Amino acid sequence: MLAVADWLFIVWYFILSIGIGLYYSKKAGKSISEYFLSGRSLPWWLLGTSMVATTFSSDTPLAVTGIVIKDGVSGNWFWWNFMLGGTLTILFFAHLWRRAGVMTEVEFIDLRYSGRPARFLRGFKALYLGVPVSCITFGWVTLAMVKIIQIAFGTSGVTALAICLGLTIFYTTLSGLWGVVATDMLLFGVAMVGSIVLSVVSVEKAGGIPAIVASMKALQAQTGRDYLSVFPSLGQALPLAFFVALFVQWWAVYYPGAEPGGGGWIAQRMLAARDAKHSVQGTLWFNIAHYVIRPWPWILTALAALVLFPDLIGAPAGTMEAAYPRMIGFLPKGIMGIVIASLFAAFMSTIESVVNLSGSFLLNDFYKPFIRKAASERHYVMVSRVLVILVSLLGAGFSYVLGSVKMGWQLIMELSAGIGLVLLLRWYWWRVSAWSEIAALSSSAAMAVYLQRFPDSPLVGALSAALARAGFKVDAWGTNVLLTVAFTTAVWLAVTFLTPPDDKDKLLSFYKKVRPGGFWGPIARLHGRAYKLDAYPFLGWALALLMILFFLLGVGKLIFLSYAQGAACLAAGAAAAFLLSKIIGKIDWEGQ
Amino acid sequence: MKKDYLPMALGFWGVALPLAVFGIVFCRTAAERIAVLISAAIFTLVGTLIRKAKD
Repeated sequence: MLAVADWLFIVWYFILSIGIGLYYSKKAGKSISEYFLSGRSLPWWLLGTSMVATTFSSDTPLAVTGIVIKDGVSGNWFWWNFMLGGTLTILFFAHLWRRAGVMTEVEFIDLRYSGRPARFLRGFKALYLGVPVSCITFGWVTLAMVKIIQIAFGTSGVTALAICLGLTIFYTTLSGLWGVVATDMLLFGVAMVGSIVLSVVSVEKAGGIPAIVASMKALQAQTGRDYLSVFPSLGQALPLAFFVALFVQWWAVYYPGAEPGGGGWIAQRMLAARDAKHSVQGTLWFNIAHYVIRPWPWILTALAALVLFPDLIGAPAGTMEAAYPRMIGFLPKGIMGIVIASLFAAFMSTIESVVNLSGSFLLNDFYKPFIRKAASERHYVMVSRVLVILVSLLGAGFSYVLGSVKMGWQLIMELSAGIGLVLLLRWYWWRVSAWSEIAALSSSAAMAVYLQRFPDSPLVGALSAALARAGFKVDAWGTNVLLTVAFTTAVWLAVTFLTPPDDKDKLLSFYKKVRPGGFWGPIARLHGRAYKLDAYPFLGWALALLMILFFLLGVGKLIFLSYAQGAACLAAGAAAAFLLSKIIGKIDWEGQ
Repeated sequence: MKKDYLPMALGFWGVALPLAVFGIVFCRTAAERIAVLISAAIFTLVGTLIRKAKD
C-alpha cells in the first residue's frame, strides 16, 4: 500500500510534467511544422534524450528482467544487437534525414520516388504506420503498464492508470512535439532514478554484490549457465537466435525504435534537429544512453530477484517478467512513490510520442495529400489534434483485445521481418524504386502469414535440418527470420530489376537535395557532380561500436567488482570516444 | 530563446527538492540514502545545465 508521502511525490510529479507539457501548447499551435517537428530547432541533447525516453517504455524493464532470469546477462543480445544498426544510423543516415527536410518518414517516399506506385505507397504506409502499428505499440505498452499496476496495487491501480493516460493524451494533444520532447527530458530522468533506486534496494536485500556474484557462481555450477557473462558461451552449439540477432536482425527487421536507417520516432527527432550535425550528435547520445546507461539497473534488479526468489528458474516467462514489479514491495514508504512515478514516466514518454507520431503520418501523409490539399495551418493543427485523440482512443481499445505484450512485439516483428535492406539501400542506390518497397512489404507480410499458417512446413523443416547439421542450436524464431529475409530480399531485388527505374527528374532532385553518395552513377553524371562516400563514416561506425561495447562492458565489470578490467574497458571506451569525436568533427555533415 | 528551456529546468529542480527531502527522511540504509541524494544532486545539476544551455 502507498503511504501519504508516496502519493505526494506522485501527484507532484504529475503536476510538474503536465505543467511542462502545457507550457508549450501555444508554440505548438502555430503550424504543423511546430506541432510535429518543433519548428526544426531541437538541439542534440534534447532530441537524443527524447529518443531514449520514448524507447524506454514501461514494459522494457520487465522484458529485460525476464531475459536475464532466463538466459543471464548475455541474453540481452536479443536487443543489444540493434546497436550495430543504431551506430550505422548515426554515421550514415542521421544527417541525410535532416538534409531531406521532409515532415515525416513517410513523406520521404514522395521525395525519393515518383508516379502512382509512390502515391499508393505513401498512402498505404501512412495508414499502416499511423493506425495498426501505432495501435499495437500503444496497446502493448498500456497492457504492460496494467500488469505492473495490478501486481503492485491490485485492480484499484487501474483507475490511476486511466487517469494518467487521460492526462498524458490531454497535454500531448495540445502541446505537440514541443511538449513531448520537453516532458521527455524530465520523464527519462525520473524513470532512471526509479530504476536505480530499485536496483540499490534489491541488491541490498539480496546481500550485496559479493553475495549476488557468489549465488550466480553456485547457480552456474547447478545449471551450467554463466549468468554474469556479457557474451554467450561459444563452447557448445551456437544458438541460432544469437547468430540471427548478431548478423541479420539489426539490418533486416523493422522494429519500433530500432528501424534500419532510422524511422518512426527516431526519424521524427532527426528531422526536428536544428541542423544535420545536431541530428548526428543527438542520435549518438541516444545510442550511448540506450545501450550503456539504461540496462544495468534492470540487470542488477533481475539478478537480485534470482537470489531472492530461486523458484524463478524454469518458471513461465510471465512470472519471470513479473519479478521486477515484485521487487517494488521491498521499498520503504516515500521511496516507493518515486519508483511508481518512474514507471508512470516510462509509460507516458512512450505513449505521448506514439500518438504524436501517428498523428503526423495521418495528417501529413494521408489527410493533406489525399483529402484536403490546401487549407490553413490552423486547420491542419486542429485536424492533427483530433487525429491524436482518435488514435489514442483506438490504441486504448486495442489494449483490451491484445492477448499479451509478447503478441504485440511478435506481430510487428513478423510482419516486417525482411524489409530493412530496402530501407537502407533506398538512400544509396538509385535503382531502388517504390516497386521495390511495395514488393518488400508485401512479400515480408506474405511470408509471415505463411509461417503462421504452416509452422511445420517442409520449407521450415529443411532449413532447420540444414542449420542443425551446420552446428546451430535451432529455434523457430531464428529459422523464420532467415526464411523471411531470404524470400523478401529475392522478391524485391527481382521486382527492382523487372520494373522500370524511377523518373530521372525525381531522382536528380533527390540527389541534389540529399547529396547521399553511394551508387548513383547515372544520376551523378546527369547532375555533373558525384557525391562520394569516403572512409570516415566507416571508421566512425567501427569506433562508435567499440565505444559503446567497451563502456557497456566496463560498467558491468565495475559493478561485479572486477575493478582493473572495468577501468581498462572504460579507458578503451574513452579512447574510442575521443577518436570518434575527431571523426565527427572532420565530416562535412551538410555535404556542401 | 533561453526562456524556452526554463520549464524543463524548473521541472528538474522541482523533482530534485522532494528527492533530497525524501532521501533524508525515508531512506533506511546508507546505500539507499546515497543513491537518492546523488540522484537529487544530478537533477539539480542537469536543471542548471538546461537553464544555461545556449539556444
